[in-house]
Amino acid sequence: MASVVTGAQNKRPNPNSTSAAATREGDQLIITPLGAGNEVGRSCVYMSYKGKTVLFDCGIHPAYSGVAALPYFDEIDPSTIDVLLITHFHLDHAASLPYFLEKTNFRGRVFMTHSTKAIYRLLLSDYVKVSKVSVEDMLYDENDIVRSMDKIEVIDFHQTLEVNGIRFWCYTAGHVLGAAMFMVDIAGVRVLYTGDYSREEDRHLRAAEVPQFTPDICIIESTYGVQLHQPRPVREKRFTDVIHSTISQGGRVLIPAFALGRAQELLLILDEYWENHPELHNIPIYYASPLAKRCMAVYQTYINAMNDRIRTQFANSNPFDFKHISPLKSIENFDDVGPSVVMASPSGLQSGLSRQLFDKWCADKKNACVIPGYVVEGTLAKTIINEPKEVTLMNGLVAPLNMQVHYISFSAHADCAQTCGFLKELMPPHIVLVHGEANEMGRLKQKLVSQFADSNTKLYTPKNCQSVTMHFSSEKMAKVIGKLAEKVPETGESVSGLLVKKGFTYQIMAPDDLRVFSQLSTANVTQRITVPYTGAFEVIKYRLKQIYESVESPPVEETEVPTLIVHERVTIRHESDTYVVMQWSADPISDMVSDSVVAMILNIGREGPKVTPIEEKTQEEMERMARKVVHSLMVSLFGDTKFGEDGRLVITVDADVARLDIKSGEVECENQGLRERIKTAFGRMQGAIRPIPKP
Amino acid sequence: MGTSVQVTPLSGVYGENPLCYLVAIDGFNLLMDCGWNDLFDPSLLQPLSRVAKSIDAVLISHPDILHLGALPYARKHFGLSAPVYATEPVYRLGLLTMYDHYLSRRQISDFDMFTLDDIDVAFQNVIRLKYSQNYHLSENGEGIVIAPHVAGHLLGGTIWKITKDGEDVVYAVDFNHRKERHLNGTVLESFVRPAVLITDAYNALNNQVYKRQRDQEFIDAILRVLRADGTVLLPVDTAGRVLELILILEQYWAQQHLSFPIFFLTNVASSTVEYVKSFLEWMSDSIAKSFEHTRDNAFLLKYVTLIINKSDLENYAGVPKVVLTSMASLEVGFSHDIFVELATDAKNIVLFTERGQFGTLARMLQVDPPPKAVKVTMSKRVPLVGDELKAYEEEQEKIKKEEAVKKASIVKVEEVRATSSHLSESTKGDSMVIDPASATASPKASSHFRGQMDILIDGFTPPSTSVAPMFPFFENTAEWDDFGEVINPDDYVIQEEDSNHMVGNGKSLDVKPDEASVHLLLDSTPSKVVSHELTVQVKCALLYMDFEGRSDGRSVKSIISHVAPLKLVLVHGSAEATEHLKMHCAKHVCPHVYAPQIEETIDVTSDLCAYKVQLSEKLMSNVLFRKMVENEISWMDSVAEKTNEKVFTLLPPPSAPPTHKSVLVGDLKLADFKQYLSTKGVQVEFAGGALKCGEHITVRKISDSSQKGGTGPQQIVIEGPLCEDYYKIRGHLYSQFYLL
Repeated sequence: MASVVTGAQNKRPNPNSTSAAATREGDQLIITPLGAGNEVGRSCVYMSYKGKTVLFDCGIHPAYSGVAALPYFDEIDPSTIDVLLITHFHLDHAASLPYFLEKTNFRGRVFMTHSTKAIYRLLLSDYVKVSKVSVEDMLYDENDIVRSMDKIEVIDFHQTLEVNGIRFWCYTAGHVLGAAMFMVDIAGVRVLYTGDYSREEDRHLRAAEVPQFTPDICIIESTYGVQLHQPRPVREKRFTDVIHSTISQGGRVLIPAFALGRAQELLLILDEYWENHPELHNIPIYYASPLAKRCMAVYQTYINAMNDRIRTQFANSNPFDFKHISPLKSIENFDDVGPSVVMASPSGLQSGLSRQLFDKWCADKKNACVIPGYVVEGTLAKTIINEPKEVTLMNGLVAPLNMQVHYISFSAHADCAQTCGFLKELMPPHIVLVHGEANEMGRLKQKLVSQFADSNTKLYTPKNCQSVTMHFSSEKMAKVIGKLAEKVPETGESVSGLLVKKGFTYQIMAPDDLRVFSQLSTANVTQRITVPYTGAFEVIKYRLKQIYESVESPPVEETEVPTLIVHERVTIRHESDTYVVMQWSADPISDMVSDSVVAMILNIGREGPKVTPIEEKTQEEMERMARKVVHSLMVSLFGDTKFGEDGRLVITVDADVARLDIKSGEVECENQGLRERIKTAFGRMQGAIRPIPKP
Repeated sequence: MGTSVQVTPLSGVYGENPLCYLVAIDGFNLLMDCGWNDLFDPSLLQPLSRVAKSIDAVLISHPDILHLGALPYARKHFGLSAPVYATEPVYRLGLLTMYDHYLSRRQISDFDMFTLDDIDVAFQNVIRLKYSQNYHLSENGEGIVIAPHVAGHLLGGTIWKITKDGEDVVYAVDFNHRKERHLNGTVLESFVRPAVLITDAYNALNNQVYKRQRDQEFIDAILRVLRADGTVLLPVDTAGRVLELILILEQYWAQQHLSFPIFFLTNVASSTVEYVKSFLEWMSDSIAKSFEHTRDNAFLLKYVTLIINKSDLENYAGVPKVVLTSMASLEVGFSHDIFVELATDAKNIVLFTERGQFGTLARMLQVDPPPKAVKVTMSKRVPLVGDELKAYEEEQEKIKKEEAVKKASIVKVEEVRATSSHLSESTKGDSMVIDPASATASPKASSHFRGQMDILIDGFTPPSTSVAPMFPFFENTAEWDDFGEVINPDDYVIQEEDSNHMVGNGKSLDVKPDEASVHLLLDSTPSKVVSHELTVQVKCALLYMDFEGRSDGRSVKSIISHVAPLKLVLVHGSAEATEHLKMHCAKHVCPHVYAPQIEETIDVTSDLCAYKVQLSEKLMSNVLFRKMVENEISWMDSVAEKTNEKVFTLLPPPSAPPTHKSVLVGDLKLADFKQYLSTKGVQVEFAGGALKCGEHITVRKISDSSQKGGTGPQQIVIEGPLCEDYYKIRGHLYSQFYLL
């Protein structure tokens, strides 16, 4: 599967291309990010190859609202998409799905993992509830989400599914519970879409797997660019140290975190730390997210999607039954009397409980705010990382920022080392970077370019709606099976049979075997027709012999009634004095013969025997006739056709000149395509001019 | 020629013995299931013992004794060391089933076929797969792909598809096409034309009543007894069909707001349900859906109480109740004891939901008419007292002493080795710790040192280079280079401190048996088994209802004929059922039906020929496909050209090819055709099996019965006098086909 031509194009894909165009451009693989191209958020990557179309992820951009947050769906025709694959439940990967399913003409199938589906439902309902936009800006409502649930199908890790000839399966991605990397196989070309992934095993998730097969194209996230994560134990220690020291100084700790995903990991860390430090037992830990509470059932159930450590613990007690952590409904229920640790959403401190607490606590320097993950550009969390002197509160007042701000990333995205290592193991010939800010992505690209300098790897960093086009020369393999395969042919021998294509696999077989190897069947249609005829049977025989080369009459003893067999195809039986019965097996030539026989028999009845001598045409005359016919047919097909001096036909099409030898059928032409065409056309003409072949 | 396939049954043909079959694919030996029965009869495993060492992989299809019971024994005694493949639930529930059996046996006998450790060891090298996961085998099995698919019947139940070079061997035993409360139906029907299908004839003669009717009767029978103050005993398996029964009861109890207590009593009941709760993705769509919508786990049981101790039942002695308990065979386990208690009271009922295994108490009770009385052996483990205890202790003491002596010698050997190796290397001799893992020195080595054993004091051994005993001494030779002492950077690396507590102790038992069993295991107080025989008058009602969750005879036949394998191998089923199904299939499905005897190897290598070719671009540009259902089809003429050793390239023929016999492709159904004609305004009706079109024309399909499911083309006859209608109808008929 060698690629021949590659190159980024600034051209929009043409999703409306007709099927004819699709076959013509069949070998062209197009990848277009509709979102997450040189940005983080609204992941959505369109891919098309051989007329099959796959869409990866369907997210929204958290920094925008309404239609502006959607990926550029108007670049494509949703009705042409065969399969939509969702990697994980985060809003920037799944939140435009209800819109896409319910408000567009998408008719394909959607897949995600079991745990993703269960959390998706809860998360999006929550999202609809908390997003404060006007009704007309609402992309979808609760009902749309419920309806979308019925359309979503589930896939388990490693399970291989096939839709419309597109084969796909998924690997553990390690980013959040249920996060998957999808491998798509269309006609032998494999594309890996990593989604968000992490190669580091943590408290509850497995590290991303390295696929068994090298993909031809790897579409990979680049969130962290060339940054390197601190080792996990160091990060955990910093995290617990900050919290411990803040608390022991009587301060409060705010952890703004997205309700699902990393929050569970942090809760596991905190619960374990508290367990090991009895002196902290009187300090409460709250996680202020009803959503996280609701999702806990999902975490408690899909233990099998997590790592061995959790599964081992599970044998004793469910590790997601936290002992030291209590839920917090709202700020009204919060009794803010002394040191405490509160984990609240949203992670960006845009609004909601985390913002309320931040406003309340930011002026006191005893307090601390720990930002545990990636923060999106344009949010308050991003602003306070740079530790400004003052911040604007929600009520518009300006307050001093005295609380300590710590940025300790637990974000389960791969860092540069992981990405490089992952790609090095896979060595895909094409790498497409998505899901990263332009700068970070650019740096990562430089780094990868130098890493893969000696290999043939090609790197792309398309912007949104910018297509990457690659060509894969498809090598079509077929399997010859059954009777046709009993003898393996030598060079030059012909192989003829039915070519059956299912998905992208080809089989060649004899017609008799069709039923054996496929669900198709063949049929023989026997036709039997009674033709009124009162004359002598001998007359028919006589007349037939004038027209047909082969008219046989088997002895009456074998057939009971006088019988004639014309060209071993049509049988005529003289069953009664008033009619004859003709029988043959349907096929174009036999039908033609039988029609002529019928016409003849009817004519005998009408006008009586009339003998017309047959003009024996000489071979030469036949030849001349044939030349004339071929010539006139060629003129009608190709236009400018003349007889050359050497007796060959000279056919001129535009600038190409072809010479056809009518006797041997050989064609001389520089243009391969034209030569093939003329050859085919000539073959068909020969078939029409020559006498009926023997079956 | 195709891939060579041989099938050799090792157990479980022409009868209901456990399932165990050897399938060799191009010399790669796959063991399909490794079953035993509830009696743990070693004679059944004789054939397995002869081939166990040559097996390359074991595929397990269901988590019950009949499918995997012999794994620990075969591993321990026969040297079966091949990797085992199973789905996650089969692995987990299979493990629990084995624990339950072991613990039940242990309570009443000095069971020594295998121990809990043997079970753990046997299950340690199970490779767990997901449904439809294509797993590529490596090494000898290169090119073989195995994939588990949904079988129904039990949670995680598997039909195995083994593919090599595009040829499929499908092993499907105990499948269920019906959708149940907790399981989806099998996907067997989606496989079309595998080269070989291995399936069972177990249910070939049984037919089932409707599910709803059966469920109602089941509930009615239970309620009748409960309302008459009786107790219902449901002998069940540990973690298989019992799940379905629990859901039926839960659902009905919830609907009717019943308050009769239900108990689920096995040695591992609470772990079972705890694990089952985390297997939602393996269950039916409706369970998954209800979880996604309401987060209600179907196995969050509200009415069924999980108990692991029979004594918990004592508080409910006189109360009407339902008890689900293992084993289904009544041979051992709680069901055995409870049966003996209940049998004498006519109020009670023993409701069997599956046919008992051959030769077990359950089977005896299922005969018609039921026996009036049965003889049972009651056994109990009692602690040793008095003289017996003393004798036991003395014996233990002796054994301990012997072991201590032996161990000492081993330790010594180890130390000698360690010391000598330290001396010879003498570079980083900083450790006195002896690796405990290598403490199991070979007995040969220990015997070698036996001579010196007596004169050496424990822990002091002379290095081989010294002449007299001395303390171990290791010289720390530091290396120097131009920059000073050479340092090892590894010494300064901060270790991942939590690496050992992150990844749980690999050797630890990853299933926690319930407390009672732990108690039993840890209970080291010497005990013995006392047993006495007694005759139990069977006065209670006995009832059998089919909740086995297997496809019934009729469905099995229709599924097989739909799958239409090229070759069919029948196993597991009474001789009668096997013969019946064999006859049926030979007539209606395919001519190659085999029902081998134990250890009879049959060769089901397909006589299919095949070779691969490459389709050249030039050829394909001239091919015009026609779409038919899922396939696209075309006639192709080409010329082969050898490109290298194995692969041919097909090129377009140099000259016009000779015309071929035309082929009509399509599947004509007369009924559909009738519909079609009537939309075209032709008067049609069926008359004597033929379609009468218009006044004179008849269209018939000639089908001789031997052709059914066969591979020949359909024969269609159109007949009539010469008239306009004839050509019109012929035209319509042609339109139903593709002419190639």
